[in-house]
Amino acid sequence: MALWCEVIGMDTNWAEENLKTIRTLMERSAIYRRALAPIMLFAGTMGVLTAAIGIWFQQDSTQAFGTLWLGTAAIVVAGAFLTARRQAIKDKEHFWSPPTRRVGQALLPALSSGMFLGGVFTFVGLTNAITLTFIWLFFYGCALHSAGFFMMRGMKCFGWIFIGLAAVTALVLCLLNVTRPLAVPPSNIAITAHWLMGFFFGVLHLAYGAYLYWTEKRKNAA
Amino acid sequence: MNPEPFQQLDRVIHEKGRLGIMSMLAASPELSFTELRGALGMTDGNLTTHIRALQEGGYVSVAKSYQNNRPLTTCSLTAPGRKAFAEYINLLEQIVRQNKPR
Repeated sequence: MALWCEVIGMDTNWAEENLKTIRTLMERSAIYRRALAPIMLFAGTMGVLTAAIGIWFQQDSTQAFGTLWLGTAAIVVAGAFLTARRQAIKDKEHFWSPPTRRVGQALLPALSSGMFLGGVFTFVGLTNAITLTFIWLFFYGCALHSAGFFMMRGMKCFGWIFIGLAAVTALVLCLLNVTRPLAVPPSNIAITAHWLMGFFFGVLHLAYGAYLYWTEKRKNAA
Repeated sequence: MNPEPFQQLDRVIHEKGRLGIMSMLAASPELSFTELRGALGMTDGNLTTHIRALQEGGYVSVAKSYQNNRPLTTCSLTAPGRKAFAEYINLLEQIVRQNKPR
């Protein structure tokens, strides 16, 4: 009888363990699979356009810089949301699927912190446009890297590219500032920041979007 | 204690490696051989053997194609595979339920 009870207990544990393993594997397998190319191309185009507007119209105050780019970020987030939603409707699937929810949850802390800090620094005038650029780049890189755990297609790597390139550029600018103090004159700080933002948020997104466009499978599913 | 659920467990799915493959495929429309291998930490030979067993059981379908001039093997669950997996889960839940202390 004791042996029989032991066998039953072992089997129950085994069944519970198996169910847990199945749940874990299913969660790990359900990753975000919607086509990212249109979202990246849209974000890149908006980045390049905003940089061009900032440079062309000489938006050279920190406030103008911050407002312009925060506005663009809001448009890009809304555009990405609508694009993903349209894909879901087209595929007759739920938009707010578990993988989409996980990607959203992973993106949110770093993205909202970056936007919040950017907003505060812009309107209180605590920093200059170049510092603001690097704050955004690092936060955005972290957000992409977190989301990459629930996505395919090298998103983590893309996050690291943002962080790595931002770090290298920041170091180069610091060295430049030490060796040649007027390499970036104060009047040009916001314009230089527009160039940096245009490269990072514009060109990098366009390059990644183009890569995805040529390599992504045409079938979507979240 | 009713031993019936134990006897009904599908032997093809029941093996640890094959259960891993079925679980991953149940949550995704399709997965590549590389994705399965990475997620389950199996060797190429081991994974191939298990996939073949599931294919022979009619639970998994395998498609071979090319992506960027590279061969791509993708696996997905068939309708009978999905049904068998759901039944397997039901049986496990039944076993857990019937042995829970009341």
